[in-house]
Amino acid sequence: MSTAQPVIRAERLTKTFGPVRALDGLDLEVAPGEVHGFLGPNGAGKSTTIRVVLGLIRASGGHVELFGGDPWRQAATLHERLAYVAGDVALWPGLTGGQCLDVLGATQGGLDETRRAALIDRFELDPTKRVRDYSKGNRQKVALIAALAADVDLLVLDEPTSGLDPLMEQAFQEVVRERREKGCTVLLSSHILGEVEALADRVSIIRRGRTVTTGTLAELRRHTRTHVHAVTVGVPEGLADTPGIAEYASEQVDGHVDSRFTIDGDHLDAVMGQLHAARIHTLTATPPSLDALFLRTYDEELTPHDANGLGLPEEARR
Amino acid sequence: MKATGLRAMLGVHWRTHRRGTLVWILALIASMVGTAAAVAGLYTTPEKIHTYAAAVTTGSALVAINGRVEGIDSLGGVIQDESGFLMAFLLPLLGISLVAKVTRREEEDGRLEAVLGGRVARHVPVLAGLIGASAAIFITALAFTLGLIACGVPASRAALYAASLGTLAFAFAGLAALLAQITQHSRGVYAWSLLVLAVAYLLRGVGDVTKTWVTWLSPLGWAEKAAPFGPMRWWTLLVPLAVGGLLSALAVLIAGRRDLGSSLVRGRPGSARASTWLRSPIGLATYIHSAALVGWLAGALIIAGMMGALAKQFVGAVTGNPAMADALGMSTAHPEDGFVAVTQLYIAIIATGYAVQAVGSLRGEETAGRLEPRLSGTLSRMGWLGAHGLVIVTGLVIIVAVSSVVLAASTAWSMGTALHLDRVVGAGAAYLPAELLVGGLALALFGLWPRAFPAGWAAFALVAFIAFLGPGLKLAGWVLDLAPTTHVGNPPLGTIKALPLVVLSTLAALLGAIAAIGFRRRGVPRG
Repeated sequence: MSTAQPVIRAERLTKTFGPVRALDGLDLEVAPGEVHGFLGPNGAGKSTTIRVVLGLIRASGGHVELFGGDPWRQAATLHERLAYVAGDVALWPGLTGGQCLDVLGATQGGLDETRRAALIDRFELDPTKRVRDYSKGNRQKVALIAALAADVDLLVLDEPTSGLDPLMEQAFQEVVRERREKGCTVLLSSHILGEVEALADRVSIIRRGRTVTTGTLAELRRHTRTHVHAVTVGVPEGLADTPGIAEYASEQVDGHVDSRFTIDGDHLDAVMGQLHAARIHTLTATPPSLDALFLRTYDEELTPHDANGLGLPEEARR
Repeated sequence: MKATGLRAMLGVHWRTHRRGTLVWILALIASMVGTAAAVAGLYTTPEKIHTYAAAVTTGSALVAINGRVEGIDSLGGVIQDESGFLMAFLLPLLGISLVAKVTRREEEDGRLEAVLGGRVARHVPVLAGLIGASAAIFITALAFTLGLIACGVPASRAALYAASLGTLAFAFAGLAALLAQITQHSRGVYAWSLLVLAVAYLLRGVGDVTKTWVTWLSPLGWAEKAAPFGPMRWWTLLVPLAVGGLLSALAVLIAGRRDLGSSLVRGRPGSARASTWLRSPIGLATYIHSAALVGWLAGALIIAGMMGALAKQFVGAVTGNPAMADALGMSTAHPEDGFVAVTQLYIAIIATGYAVQAVGSLRGEETAGRLEPRLSGTLSRMGWLGAHGLVIVTGLVIIVAVSSVVLAASTAWSMGTALHLDRVVGAGAAYLPAELLVGGLALALFGLWPRAFPAGWAAFALVAFIAFLGPGLKLAGWVLDLAPTTHVGNPPLGTIKALPLVVLSTLAALLGAIAAIGFRRRGVPRG
């Protein structure tokens, strides 16, 4: 696989179901070897996008490529290289978990036997139980093991950890990292931010069938603001007038100067120089969490239409 | 036990199941009153009724199928006899399905847990389910009484007949309620209560043919012994009422005492690995359709075996009664042909039912969400559809072939004659194009408008109604022509006509192609 060619490329995708516009010009690009977080609130169009990418449904407009091919026309051939865990895991109630694993494995063109056994251990699954006697979490495990034990180039995981307990979630994250180290590409749809933050190299955030923003976590963070709490010996000169600063508050406490403010990524360095000049006593700088990023992206007032409006200073000052 | 939340629970049942329940009882009332009206229109004079009564009471074959109707020499008696076979299954099914839907199904899907988390006592959901089912049964019986009176049946006899059917449904509702407490899945409720129904039908048949007390062992026998058009034994209604009431009370008692989600019969662990066969597309398709195949095959075998075993009585009745033989057009060199033809038509309807249900399970795979992961692997859509098509058609051929062989063998055994395997199997095979046509229609719906799939069942119901009751009720020619089974030529009594079979096969193939094209082009899953 050439590194130039993305594993998934979707441009200006639209999909309408009758009067409902599920996708409205969505873009998505997943590069080889990366874990790509696909974030959005319920009903944003995540599952619809994934189904279009897999060739299960046909886009009403736009362009989509999977491994450089057309997923609608070459679905079965392209699927040889991927494994998929659907958002709502459904299995055959009369089969045992182990039998379902093998059937799903056969669907994907085979499982790695060693990995299958190891994953059953790791996820503590009883493969002799019938699916109709499983809890939701156990059904989820079956689908996950089937996908993670497959020898494929791409994993498409649609909200894979819903129903898993925190321990299993941990195990899931470890396995995904291992798969990535082996060169596997992962598209991880989720609305659990912690999970995406822990795993993803790059993120696309969508809302109402449109990509709102996309980039590495570092890039996205650059557009957001860092909270700084600094205690200095002297008064930091001209800090209040520094470009990019907001929510500035300063007071004298026990002979020190206690300053709190937020600063955008471009001006962080300059501010640190000013604080240093005033002799730093203690300093905490809190980078924006993905939560803040996410909430801000969804807040309509702050981000009317364009992706670059994330946390710009003038907006923050309002 | 205080029935906390009973009113709320009745409201929940009503809101969540009113549509299905209304469709059920309206369809049932329509078919019951429709049959009664058609009979009343047909048997307008005492002479006609008398001829009918004489014909069906000679020999035991029809007695075994429809029951021994006391007072058959009356309009009501003819109605009871004509609807005997259908009612013996539809009314118990009404009771079973009304209760199963609101009890174990709700528990299995986790909705009962949400309900019991509120101010609802543990035994109340099943109590409410039984009350709702009883109300639906009562309304059905009441409407049927009025329909019968409108057809000219005396009021008190109409009321007793409807009440005997209503209490029959109630007894099975009680049985289903109890089974819902002791089996773990709603599938088990249906399977066990249908088994009881099959045994009840056999016992009633045996008792009626042998004229012994065996009839009294069967709930269907209790309804029959009420004899609404004979001596009118009102007191027999107490038997199903007592049995149904006892089973219901037991169900309510157990529901109040057991843990949520628990049952007496639990699933056992199974194999941790799938065989190579199960992993193949055809293997999994076989697994998916096997339950339906076994069920419909069992039905076909019961009919074939029972009819075959009674062949001698049937043929004897016909040969001893030239008028009846003439009426049935059976004065041929092979007197058993007429009755093989009737049985093959029954088997054809059963096979058609299997085909529609099997296609329906494709839709079931889709709505359950299992089709999506199946198609996101290396299996192409055409590969998936082809594997299922192959398995469904093979199952259809198995039903027709096996039950034809059983019919031929049991007939030869009963008659003491040589085996006419080719004639009997040939007649069964001649119905294959008609069965495939209805299955193809269902498949086309699945491919093009999956949401409209219930129309496939409506088509099946229409075909079954025309095939079973059309000739007896002397429906108009164009109505009879709607059913593909009409065009087969009633073999082996009539001759098989080649051209209609070719047309039916072509239409079936065309529908299959349409289904494939539609399925290839549409999105999966489609809600």
